[in-house]
Amino acid sequence: MKYSYYPGCSLHTTAKEFDMSTKVVMTELGIELKELHDWSCCGGSVAAGVSHDVGMAMAARNVALAQKENLDLLASCSGCYNKSARALKALDTEAEKERITAILSEMGISVSDCNIRVRNVVDVLANDLDISPHIKKPLTGLKVACYYGCLLTRPADITGWDSPVFPMSMDKLAQACGAEVVDFRSKTKCCGGPILVSKQEVAFELTKKLLDEAKSLGADCIVLACPLCSTNLELRQPDIEKNYNVSYNLPILYITEIIGLALGIKPGKLGLNKHIVSPKTVLNKLGF
Amino acid sequence: MAVKNKKFLFGLKVDRQLDGDKMNREFLDKVIAEGGEGAAIAACMQCGTCSGGCTNIDLMDMSPRTLVLMVQRGEWEKVLKSNALWLCTSCYICTSRCPRGVRPADVIEAVKAIGIRQGVENDSTKFNQIFVELVEKRGILFEPELMQKYGGLQAMLAQAKLGIQLTLKGKMSPLPAKIKDPKKFSEALEKVGKQ
Repeated sequence: MKYSYYPGCSLHTTAKEFDMSTKVVMTELGIELKELHDWSCCGGSVAAGVSHDVGMAMAARNVALAQKENLDLLASCSGCYNKSARALKALDTEAEKERITAILSEMGISVSDCNIRVRNVVDVLANDLDISPHIKKPLTGLKVACYYGCLLTRPADITGWDSPVFPMSMDKLAQACGAEVVDFRSKTKCCGGPILVSKQEVAFELTKKLLDEAKSLGADCIVLACPLCSTNLELRQPDIEKNYNVSYNLPILYITEIIGLALGIKPGKLGLNKHIVSPKTVLNKLGF
Repeated sequence: MAVKNKKFLFGLKVDRQLDGDKMNREFLDKVIAEGGEGAAIAACMQCGTCSGGCTNIDLMDMSPRTLVLMVQRGEWEKVLKSNALWLCTSCYICTSRCPRGVRPADVIEAVKAIGIRQGVENDSTKFNQIFVELVEKRGILFEPELMQKYGGLQAMLAQAKLGIQLTLKGKMSPLPAKIKDPKKFSEALEKVGKQ
């Protein structure tokens, strides 16, 4: 299996460990990733709220580039995945296709008829292969809360996910790794990512609820697949602790990191040393 | 008319039952033309499932359900004044739960874009516009620049500690990344924005 890999803005910066762990895990499982040549930002959740066509064109550009490669587009970031999938759907609609194609051609990019799919790393790991036979170091005793957030699973007509409100794919992956999965009721509640800057207090409140629930369930860490969720849950965790006078110290790991650990890959190779909230408690529990 | 003062008439909720003649196709079409997938706005039967699942309903002055109704009625001023537009996190719970395929999140997205073109200004529109401008500039977002342009020196200082931590961990480059031909990219997108 070979994919056109779209890292997006975050995986080369704040989500470096997601990039590292995705690449090493995929290689270990025999999946080849070829970074999408000259990719650009998908516009996130923000661009279409300024101009629908600008937002669609930003996301469609990457889809068109992957078409040129004749490879399915694999996006790790939930936002990039969602917006790319949405653009792919728009390119399949007569009225939208015309407008988007016109903008892309101004950029010197042509849309071809080649049928590619937009995939997410969780989707590929959960549905295209069985990771169980590859597990070398089961994560026995580790309690994890799997957090899907919003754009990974919703809306279902764009993502085609198992459920838009109570998905199980990531839970099953964590279980396959030998971890114990807690019943995280907030698993698809929004963390407030898109309004983190403009409405910070509201976003903090939403994120706090997630941290509170995970902590109350006794989770050793939250496992997720979105760099923006991670920004809220991990990078802003010290701010939230300060604001509400609480202490969490809850490691936030990407699903590819815990799969990597279960595959027997060294923590350093997965980028586990790059976290702001130290995952030491998790590693200690696993005997690293 | 006495009927107007009654909230219920023969057990039927008055404002809903009389809504048919209050519909305003013009505004509905405007939102649909924005290109979102809110094409089913007219199908909204005001069941409130969208509001029931909404992440930020507690803080909104107008629920997603009411917002869709106001779009149907063409109450444009009320729609544009609503803080619901800017508290929506585009999480799509409303859209996933809607039994009629109305896609409230896409309706809100379209209304936001129309609002920005009509000159609505607040912290959220400022952030969204700077975000888009910066992506248009190089094709790839440079977060420190976004913080600086949005919040000025104060925001940079507030985030300095995190910025240093990230830089030390190799997770933030002091230099922005860009695509190969940002000029063509930005020219094509700026043209669309002005239409």
